[in-house]
Amino acid sequence: MKKLMHILFLSCLKATELIEKKMHFRLSWMERMQLKAHKMMCDACTRYEEQSAYIDQAIEKTRHENLSASELNQFKQQIVDKLGDSD
Amino acid sequence: MATTTTIKLTEMVEAYTSDLYSWALHKVSDSELAKDLVQDTFMAAAEKIDTFKGDSSPKTWLLAILNFKIIDVYRKKVRQPVRMDDQVFAQFFDEDGSWKYEKRPGDWHEEETNLLDDAGFQEVLKKCLEALPEKWSTCVKLKYLVEKDGEEICQELDITPTNLWQIVHRAKLQLRDCIEHSWFKQ
Repeated sequence: MKKLMHILFLSCLKATELIEKKMHFRLSWMERMQLKAHKMMCDACTRYEEQSAYIDQAIEKTRHENLSASELNQFKQQIVDKLGDSD
Repeated sequence: MATTTTIKLTEMVEAYTSDLYSWALHKVSDSELAKDLVQDTFMAAAEKIDTFKGDSSPKTWLLAILNFKIIDVYRKKVRQPVRMDDQVFAQFFDEDGSWKYEKRPGDWHEEETNLLDDAGFQEVLKKCLEALPEKWSTCVKLKYLVEKDGEEICQELDITPTNLWQIVHRAKLQLRDCIEHSWFKQ
C-alpha cells in the first residue's frame, strides 16, 4: 500500500528532491501534480519547502564586514604599487 | 606603461576599489580572496585599458572583468570532486523514503519572528554553511550569487542540471537540520 502511495504521491525523499529542483528548474506537469498531492497530505514536506525558501532568503541577506577606511587606503596603495611593478 | 594610462588607472583604483571589493566579498564570502580578485581585476584592466573606449562607465567595465573572475572561482569550486553517496538520505529518511520521526522539520515560527535580521541567526546560518563541503555550500548559494536561473548556471559552470539539484538537495537537508539544531533546539 505504502509503495503504491509513493508511486502516486511520491515519498518524502523524492518530494524534497523535487522541491529543490523546482527552485532552479521548471518541473514537468506530472512532477507538479505529484508534488502538489504529496504536500496536501504531508505537513513535514510543506514545512520543509517553506523553510528551504526561507534559508535562501537568509543567505541572500548575509552581510559582510567592509574594510575600515585605513584598511581600504592601504589596499588601494597595494594595488597601485602592484600596477607600478608591472610597468 | 604611458603616464596618462597610469594616471587613469590610479584614478580608477581610488574611485572604485571600495565598490569592487564589497561586490567581490558579497559574492565569494572570503575577504582575502575578494582582495585578490579586485587586485587581479585592476591588473587585467591595465592590460586592456587601450581597448576601453568609454562606451560604458569605467565602473561597469571593471565590474564586468571582476564578474568574469568570480565565475571562474565558482567554476573551480563546483569541479571539486565530492562523494555523492546516499548516506545523507539515510540520516533523514527511512528505507521507504519517509521522514524519520526525529528528523521531521520542526516549527520555526518564521512568520512571527524576524529571523532574517537577527545577527545570531545569521551567525548560525554562516556556521552551518561552513560545515558543508565547499562544493555543496557553493551550489546552495549559486542561485543568488550568479543571479541566473538553473539552466544558465549549469551552462556557465559546466555541470549538469541533475547534478546541481541533487547536490542542492543533499546540502539543504543538512543545512536545514543544522540550523534547526543550533538555533531552535539550543
